Amino acid sequence: MRPSRAAYPMRWRVMDSLERIAGLLWPRSFSAGLPYLMLLPALLLVGVLVWGLVEIGDSSLRTLDTSTFLMSENYTLANYQRALNERFFTTVAGRSLMGSLIVTVITLVFAFPYSYLMVRTPSSALRKFLLVALFLPFFIGQVVRAYGWLIILGNQGMVNEALGLVGVSPIRLLYNYPAVLFGLVQYMLPFAVLMLAPAMTAIPAELESAASSLGANWISTFRHIVLPLSKPGLVGAGLVVFTLSLTDFAIPAILGGGSQDFIANAIYDQFFRTSDQGMGATLSLLLVAVGSILVGLVFMVFGAGTLAMGGDRK
Amino acid sequence: MTGSLSKSIVIWTFVAASLVMLSAPTIVVLGASFTAGNMITFPPEGLSLKWYAAISQASGLRQAFFRSLYVATICTLIAIPVGTLAGIALAKYRVRFGRTIQVYLLLPFTIPLIGSGIGMMLAFGNAGLAGQLWPLGVACAVINLPFMIWAVTASASNLSPDLELAAANCGAPPLQRFLYITLPAVMPGVITGSLLMFILALNEFLVSLLLVDARNVTLPVQIYNSIRSIITPDLAAISVVFIACAAIAIAVLDRLVGLDVFLKSK
Repeated sequence: MRPSRAAYPMRWRVMDSLERIAGLLWPRSFSAGLPYLMLLPALLLVGVLVWGLVEIGDSSLRTLDTSTFLMSENYTLANYQRALNERFFTTVAGRSLMGSLIVTVITLVFAFPYSYLMVRTPSSALRKFLLVALFLPFFIGQVVRAYGWLIILGNQGMVNEALGLVGVSPIRLLYNYPAVLFGLVQYMLPFAVLMLAPAMTAIPAELESAASSLGANWISTFRHIVLPLSKPGLVGAGLVVFTLSLTDFAIPAILGGGSQDFIANAIYDQFFRTSDQGMGATLSLLLVAVGSILVGLVFMVFGAGTLAMGGDRK
Repeated sequence: MTGSLSKSIVIWTFVAASLVMLSAPTIVVLGASFTAGNMITFPPEGLSLKWYAAISQASGLRQAFFRSLYVATICTLIAIPVGTLAGIALAKYRVRFGRTIQVYLLLPFTIPLIGSGIGMMLAFGNAGLAGQLWPLGVACAVINLPFMIWAVTASASNLSPDLELAAANCGAPPLQRFLYITLPAVMPGVITGSLLMFILALNEFLVSLLLVDARNVTLPVQIYNSIRSIITPDLAAISVVFIACAAIAIAVLDRLVGLDVFLKSK
């Protein structure tokens, strides 16, 4: 009797041969290594970054020979000395650090009520609206958003045109320090709210009711209940906002117009204007170090599991 | 929300200010793209679609847009297998040095973007890949990989180990278990993650600026180069492409996983 085709359909045949190939390539005795095999591509991909860091480290130890415009062959620490002593770099670093600090404070002040309302509102429609308003700019990208601000705040921009209609002469709203800080605040707001919201969700609403039934007005409820309990979220959001503002490029470049450079802009100029690769690499490495210390702080406060990635499920 | 009128007023004042800050650029760009004038003015000079007609003729912008799409596609195609496998491995198995591996895989987030960009620029330059477009796709996959892994591990919690054991008990060999049990369980995470990867690569500015030479720019870099000279409404029209992509991404994301997922505490 001829076996019917349906008894061993094509699909099974394909699957079985695939199984056999898989078995040959990775025999059962290797199964303990399977997770590592699955992790390998990701480890290699992130390895590109490590490779990049090594290249930065290498370049940072070479100085630019201004007569030949070539990098020196031998290693020296001269770039680091220059980076820490030269007036220009300390000014830029100071401006970035100060700016990030201000941006962090203002962002948290705005993010706190936003995420409070988003978490506590009984209306799911309002919650969704607030979430969409948060995600839309996040997905649109910095350049387009900065472009929007140029239209609004520029010398012939909407604000100045509107002021002109009521007879006020144009004010220079762009290309100054406050413009950059303002741009950064609105860029960072979604990050801050999204980091604060889970911490707020964790605060039971009953605690607030209890406080108010014991006679606390809403300001003291906020001060003594909500604020202390959302501290982990505030610290995390603050560190993330600080790091991202400190290392941002696009907002200072577009809204600062070249006069309000942050560290990232100074690095870019070292590479593409001065062509001093060594100096640029040195500044990058110093910035990476500062950034890593800050993120290391996040990890210490929350444990590495917070920003990621399962693994230790309960 | 409980509380007094004054509380509502204070909170709503802050929220309204935040909403204006968040939405004003988007709304203005949308409005400016429909202007009939040759300059962006306020109040607008009437409605027209002429700037959309203009960008459909401008080959420079169109090519830049296709380059961005190409980069985003490469980035997503790399990130899907790499991130899915790593995410499943992290969620399913107890890996030795798991903590170290997690910290290592988070490097793209811990290293500032300018550092990653400069590093890859030097590395790709030394490898003779400078100026090409596909390394930028790889670079975008690298810097956003944690998003992909995060999305997959988050949905891998739906995956009960009993299911796989049951399948094995019924005689399913390893590959079939993976394809028919494990993969479908993490599929929502894979879709969320690839959506994020695509949209972030489409918008990627700084790394594009560093890795790509002037003849090969992607759309965000093209816009950046143009707004340094003169602001014309055709840029607003092309920016609407990004706004539309973002809106679609949010709609899909909401459909698939619900935006509320971002509010949950661990």
